[in-house]
Amino acid sequence: MSGQNRLLAILLSVLAVLVLAVGGLSAVLLLSGSDDNGGPTGVRTGSGNSGDGDGGSSATGRLRLASSDPVTLDPHLTTDATSAEYIVEIFSGLVTIDRDLNLQPDLAEAWDVSADGTVYTFTLREDIFFHTGRRVTADDVAYSINRATSRELQSTVARAFLGDIVGAREHIAGLADDVSGVEVIDERTIRFTLDAPKPFFLAKLTYPTAFVVDQQQIESNPRNWTRKPNGTGPYKLQEWRLGERIVLESNERFYLGEPPLAEVLYTLAGGSALTRFENDDLDVASISINDIDRARDPSSDIGPLYSSWPQFSVSYLAFTTDEPPFDDVNVRRALGLAIDRAKIAEVTFNNMLVPATGILAPGLPGFTPDDKTFPFDPDAAREALAASKYEVQDGRLVGEDGPLPMVITEVGGGAEAAIDTQAFLEQWRTELGLEIEIRQTDFATFLAEQDAGELQMFNGGWIMDYPDPEDILDLKFHSTSELNDLSYENPQVDALLEEARTELDSEVRLDLYREVEQLIVQDAAWLPLYFSQAHVVVNEAVEGWFEPEMVIPRLRFVEVNR
Amino acid sequence: MTAYIIRRLLWLPIILVIVTFFTFAIARFGPGDPLLVVAGQIRDDEVLEQIRADRGLDGNVFEQYQTWLFDAVRGDFGESIQQQGFTVTEILLPKMWISAQLGIIAIITIFGLGIPLGLLAARANGTWVDPFVISTLLFLQAIPVLVVIPPLLWLFATQLDWLPVGGWDGLFDIWWIGGVIAVPIPDPHLYIPLVAFTLPGFAGVARLTRITALEVQKEDYVRTARAKGLSEGRVTFRHVLPNSLLPLVTVIGFALAGVLEGAFFVETLLGIPGIGRFVFQAVGSRDYDVILATTAIFATAFVVMNLVIDIVYGFIDPRIRVGASR
Amino acid sequence: MATQAAQAPAGFGALEGRSEWSLVWERLRRKKLAMISLVVIIVIYGAGLFASVLAPYSYTEQNLDRGLEGISADHWLGTDRLGRDLLSRAMYSARTTLIITAAVVLSGSLLLGNGLGLLAGYRGGWVDNAIMRVGEVFSSLPGLLMLILINASLSPRVVDAVRSIEENTPLTGLVSSGFASYITVFLALSLFFWVGTARIIRAQVLQLREREFIMAAEALGASQRRVIIRHVLPNISFLVVLQISATLGSVAGSELVLSWFGVGIQPPAPSFGAMLFEGSGARTFQAHPNLLLVPGVAITMLLLGFALLGDALNDAIAGR
Repeated sequence: MSGQNRLLAILLSVLAVLVLAVGGLSAVLLLSGSDDNGGPTGVRTGSGNSGDGDGGSSATGRLRLASSDPVTLDPHLTTDATSAEYIVEIFSGLVTIDRDLNLQPDLAEAWDVSADGTVYTFTLREDIFFHTGRRVTADDVAYSINRATSRELQSTVARAFLGDIVGAREHIAGLADDVSGVEVIDERTIRFTLDAPKPFFLAKLTYPTAFVVDQQQIESNPRNWTRKPNGTGPYKLQEWRLGERIVLESNERFYLGEPPLAEVLYTLAGGSALTRFENDDLDVASISINDIDRARDPSSDIGPLYSSWPQFSVSYLAFTTDEPPFDDVNVRRALGLAIDRAKIAEVTFNNMLVPATGILAPGLPGFTPDDKTFPFDPDAAREALAASKYEVQDGRLVGEDGPLPMVITEVGGGAEAAIDTQAFLEQWRTELGLEIEIRQTDFATFLAEQDAGELQMFNGGWIMDYPDPEDILDLKFHSTSELNDLSYENPQVDALLEEARTELDSEVRLDLYREVEQLIVQDAAWLPLYFSQAHVVVNEAVEGWFEPEMVIPRLRFVEVNR
Repeated sequence: MTAYIIRRLLWLPIILVIVTFFTFAIARFGPGDPLLVVAGQIRDDEVLEQIRADRGLDGNVFEQYQTWLFDAVRGDFGESIQQQGFTVTEILLPKMWISAQLGIIAIITIFGLGIPLGLLAARANGTWVDPFVISTLLFLQAIPVLVVIPPLLWLFATQLDWLPVGGWDGLFDIWWIGGVIAVPIPDPHLYIPLVAFTLPGFAGVARLTRITALEVQKEDYVRTARAKGLSEGRVTFRHVLPNSLLPLVTVIGFALAGVLEGAFFVETLLGIPGIGRFVFQAVGSRDYDVILATTAIFATAFVVMNLVIDIVYGFIDPRIRVGASR
Repeated sequence: MATQAAQAPAGFGALEGRSEWSLVWERLRRKKLAMISLVVIIVIYGAGLFASVLAPYSYTEQNLDRGLEGISADHWLGTDRLGRDLLSRAMYSARTTLIITAAVVLSGSLLLGNGLGLLAGYRGGWVDNAIMRVGEVFSSLPGLLMLILINASLSPRVVDAVRSIEENTPLTGLVSSGFASYITVFLALSLFFWVGTARIIRAQVLQLREREFIMAAEALGASQRRVIIRHVLPNISFLVVLQISATLGSVAGSELVLSWFGVGIQPPAPSFGAMLFEGSGARTFQAHPNLLLVPGVAITMLLLGFALLGDALNDAIAGR
């Protein structure tokens, strides 16, 4: 067959033509999208905008991280952790929290609280500037608070974080032109008046809702200013390509001194972070469950680079406490006693999460190390169930009106999300003989139903917004709180929470919260499951990296020596 | 012919309205509230009500659709909820561009590999090569992309360390030879998605090429050419190939549809910031305007594609024009 | 995902009547690959059909002490993270595939597709126009996106409906067995899988109507029903079978993708898509390849079986 060779030749020539065609096409594509391919990211340096103050820059390092697009870079609108991580580096507020979660002055250098705890007077630093070089004055702070609470902005968190200021609620509702409790005394002094003494007010001011924004920029470009926001933080947003990358560069005018990192590159797309870390494309990578054994092994290649950090977040099972069969505390307790969380943490999470000892995570004010949750005790669980007003029949609880369906709802984007819940279901089946159904919904549906109080029993989580027990205990469990989605009502808890709201002695106050935590856990309104942990590997060249318990500014503490 | 094209084009807006309304109705019928997704764990029901009212998310669904439609006709596709401060157009265009680049390369590869393989199999008809090639292709087609990608990543990204594990960095890298000649080299991020797109598609092209080539080979003119003593290669190139290409026009549609749909999970699995990955997230967070715009774009693409195929086919084979309602 | 249209084979229509089927079977039997495919399909579907009898464990049975094990005498194909037997889960997943493919092919392809195709082709006129336009709308929808959207939106509604059925009738366990999610997936898939079939059947019927024997029957005053049953149906039966074999694979593939995205069959009901999801990821594959390979090999074999059998059937009917 002489044709065979020819055919091969034809095939090869077709391929050659194809390669040429691809090459030609590429030229066209390159011409049309030249900014798209303006060189691999490695070539880009911080001097891209050769504008202000390159000369005296002392910052040198370059840090490469993986992240995703922020929902918004408007500090007054942000509600999610991803956005907040960028915002706390680009913007800043009067006060902040340091690595040890202590309150620290930020734009303010000092403050004074009146004896009754309702008037806060802040003195601003002298040398504070926006990225553009404009000086920050008390007027900017007042403008920011007024903007955050304006009806037009429609911030969903303004009431929660700034609502304690006199007149803020009226302003949010559109009933007042400004917040009457904010007074500019002089260029460097601003005074906030609160509606009552609020011991946690300063903690709330550390949240982005109270950050300072640039009035001139916003008014000249109200729609698109967040694409190149002018803030007061240690880093400037240099580039944001949706879904591709975000580049921050150091702010040489930062009032605490220019941060040591010249540039921070966030890659917003890409696969497994650890693989990219090992290929030296990232300096920090989080560890997934499949790699945790390797990371924990000190003799492995990534072992020495691994560290784990506690997080201020707790996952829980929650019940709608006024709906049968979960209106009976014995049923709830029985479910809590029948699950072996330690075992499940070991098996399903490879101990990447810590079994919760209560509602307040370690490190939070008010945390106590003793375990307040229900232990794994099948016999006690069966006793509790027997003590309930319902009977078990064919795996179901039967009340006066017949059998009651039991459904646990959780957010699920696939099979993996359900894995610990599936373990719980199996334990309830084997230990208690209860058949509980699982139902997965997407996040949007879950939130809508949780908000409407339609979920009989669900798997949820809470991430602390500021380091104060009020942020979780009062918001989730006070019977009148909008966020109490459990119909949970305990007069004793309400009374203690109300007392704590205005108690100025912090030790007494924390004791009140400890008591509340105890009561809630015993009521089994929540079955606390796990405290989160961050597991990361960090390149040797990176110094000072840490995973904070909650979102706080941290890039100013990090150095890269390369 | 012109009348036919115009008739089909007139049909396009009607289809678009039906399709977008259908999407709109389904999206709204389901539970879930996009605002709650971005409102965070601490939320303010009063403010949420205000936002709903301002965005027109409360009230009559038909009116809401009407508003959307009128805005869309004027080129305003609304604003994303999960990516605040950006219009849908601003977000989707760059993502579409990324997906389109990948898609075009994928289509070229599918046909560039499929046609030669099909011809090879047809030429080798009667030997073991033919069934071998076809079975191999069928096998490759049968493996779901979801099964193929993890082993590929494991082999090439984590074991051999030849390719990146995902992401996107443009189509080509430039290699400078002597600082003068620019040689575009496919970016390493391209290979695994390309394999994922090509595997399910090129078997179909190859098989159709083979079948038509076999038919064509039986035709008189091919026999004549052979009888004249033309070499096999020449017969294949001159007579068989051109006449086998016609039916392939219809497959372009299928191949394109396959690539468009494949974009959903290929981009999701490989972290490519294209439209498929983004739209899947949009469905999860009920970002209505993004979902609607994307369906409209996809529907337009499908309809126009079918139209172009029909027209091309009509030019090549005039018989089609008569009974043209496909 | 796109429904691959079966090409009407060249020798089509030359065959008529029952005996022709035995001829096709004769031809098919001589094709080794076809027979192997048939056996593979029967084995996988059989495993699904008799999963409750054959599977060594139930698909929910966990053993937290024995998670992520490799192949052993107790667990022939290893276990997943919760210590569930992968072989048993694969068998029950095959059952899911069996249920979905059978239901969708029956309703979407066989009833809807053929029915509408017949109607459009035979009636013609505005009926034809209406059906074909609706078909055009459906084929211009981005299928996968719509399926995801429909499933995300519909499934809570369907679950509620099924639950109210449960509460008002003696039936129990419908929701917990995942029945509701089967219904949703089935409805959504049916909605998209009739178009291809309908088009092909319609085209064939249009051709048939021009043929002498149908014209003769109509001229002789045979009722429409009689013409359809006696003359049209037998003549499109091969096409129907081909179309079914072509649809089976894409239905199974679609279910896979939907469940992988988390909007298909809901846990704890097992499905290949959900199993693949657990095993995907390069690192997971490195550490526990059986998580991916068990469902992956099974579904690949099944899809390959469908493809090879469909091909052979095509050849056999065409007289090759």
